[in-house]
Amino acid sequence: MISEKLKNTIISSLDIDDFDLKDDTTADEVPGWDSLSHVNVILDIEKEFKIRFKSIEVLKLKNIGDLQKLVDSKLNSTN
Amino acid sequence: MFTSIDLNKLINLFKYDQTDPLLFNSSMFLFLFLGLLFLYQLLSKSQRGRIYLLIAFSMFFYYKSSGFYFLLLVFSAVFNFFMGKWIFISQSTLRKRLILISSIIFNIGLLVYFKYTNFFIQIINSFGSAKLNPLDIFLPIGISFFTFKALSYVLDLYLEKMEPERNFPNFLLYISFFPNILAGPIDRASRFLPQLSAPLIIDDAFVGKGVVLIISGLFKKAIIADYISTNFVDRIFDLPTRFTGAENLLGVYAYALQIYCDFSGYSDIAIGIALLLGFRLMENFDSPYQASSVAEFWRRWHISLSSWLLDYVFKPLQMKFRDLRTLGNAMALVVTFVLCGLWHGASWAFLFWGALHGFFMAFALFTKKPKNYIYAKLGIKNSKLLRYFQTFVTFNLIAFAWVFFRANSFETALQVFTQIFTFFHASVFLQFVPGYPVVTAMIILGFILHFVPKSWEIRFQEYFSRTPLIGKAIVLAAMIWLVIQVRSAEIQPFIYFQF
Repeated sequence: MISEKLKNTIISSLDIDDFDLKDDTTADEVPGWDSLSHVNVILDIEKEFKIRFKSIEVLKLKNIGDLQKLVDSKLNSTN
Repeated sequence: MFTSIDLNKLINLFKYDQTDPLLFNSSMFLFLFLGLLFLYQLLSKSQRGRIYLLIAFSMFFYYKSSGFYFLLLVFSAVFNFFMGKWIFISQSTLRKRLILISSIIFNIGLLVYFKYTNFFIQIINSFGSAKLNPLDIFLPIGISFFTFKALSYVLDLYLEKMEPERNFPNFLLYISFFPNILAGPIDRASRFLPQLSAPLIIDDAFVGKGVVLIISGLFKKAIIADYISTNFVDRIFDLPTRFTGAENLLGVYAYALQIYCDFSGYSDIAIGIALLLGFRLMENFDSPYQASSVAEFWRRWHISLSSWLLDYVFKPLQMKFRDLRTLGNAMALVVTFVLCGLWHGASWAFLFWGALHGFFMAFALFTKKPKNYIYAKLGIKNSKLLRYFQTFVTFNLIAFAWVFFRANSFETALQVFTQIFTFFHASVFLQFVPGYPVVTAMIILGFILHFVPKSWEIRFQEYFSRTPLIGKAIVLAAMIWLVIQVRSAEIQPFIYFQF
């Protein structure tokens, strides 16, 4: 499941109307999420959740489900 | 006595000859490929047999153009096969990273040694007082392509995008697969290797699509590209000052068409040949001049290279520089495209061409917000008119950059622009059409075909797939006949226009 907070962060970062984000949704299926805007999405997530990813962690992501898991693991480790 | 001479000739045909690689549009290749298809059919029951046959043919294919350097393929395959395995079984991140770095150093080192050593010597000579002599280094054909294929394997294992291949011959075939060894597509291991473990099935759709691609590829490469280059483009770029600006401008546009037809045509043939053997290679071109931005152009041009650079160079850089926001993105673009330029060849011209593309995209990044604001104010955002305008501008930027890619020197490139801006003589256009009717017709036809909607292309492919085998054979034979006609046609005489 993709949390509301993650979903809203992505949608506002891409400046798009509502989009149904599922675990297996990939970035290229989401309008406006291309290789150039990708970095802004990542930066906005880091800012919103107050976390910091390692480059390699982001490069390994395959879909939004992976991203959610990565965010969760970061949040758990800081708590 | 005659028989012994003929036998020698025959043997020589199969021997290494640097000046005579087995290009797909040669009759020698056609002859050998038909033989291969025959044996391939005989081995239809034995999956392994087919793979060994393809390895043997691929090695011969490479030997024909690069002699004993085919051993380099084997060496690269052995090295990367074991490095990949090692990355996969290593537990610690540090160890994985060290193995990855050593494989990158090895692969890039090989490429740099063969392709760039003399370029570096030239640079050192231009700075220092000591003069080094250039080395006599043979450039193994396709090394830029197979090195990148091999690297994609170790990198994907490091990024956990795939599992290692267990079977060495499969991996050797991935590295040496003859359809894409000389000029791509740079297929990914994660796409190609699974096809070797699955049963090889060649159905009508494969054959239909394969034949369509071979026919259209031959048409683009051996008819349009070869004809307009010999009869028009080469002359302009050899001596731009001999021609008016109008002819130079036409030459620049015609070169944009020529390089597309040449390269995408060759890719189409490669993909088509692979389909006839039951393999799907990745798509490499998607009507790139239909792009409405330079960034989109790179999503449609030489896709197998641009996506490689995206995944393994741009994205890591982009992450590293991300705190700089747009500036970081722009820096990642410029670095990636300078490397992209250098990948095309060891020269300042290629580097400059790549840097130009990087700057175009960086500029677009910085001006994105104000542009969107203006378009919204004018009420033309998402309009067709805007898209046509952007496509026109994009095409011209790309054609501009191609001049540096094609010209024999920086001075020649500048001469082309000087002629266009100071010596135009538009009236020459009217004389050009009757003067070079075939060249004009080919340029117009080439561009029309380029802008045909994708759905038409797919419909044509499906229609053609359904025609009986004999129909396909007739069309293919007609195309081969046409190619021979064009090749043996006399070169169009050079014309001086009045202005």
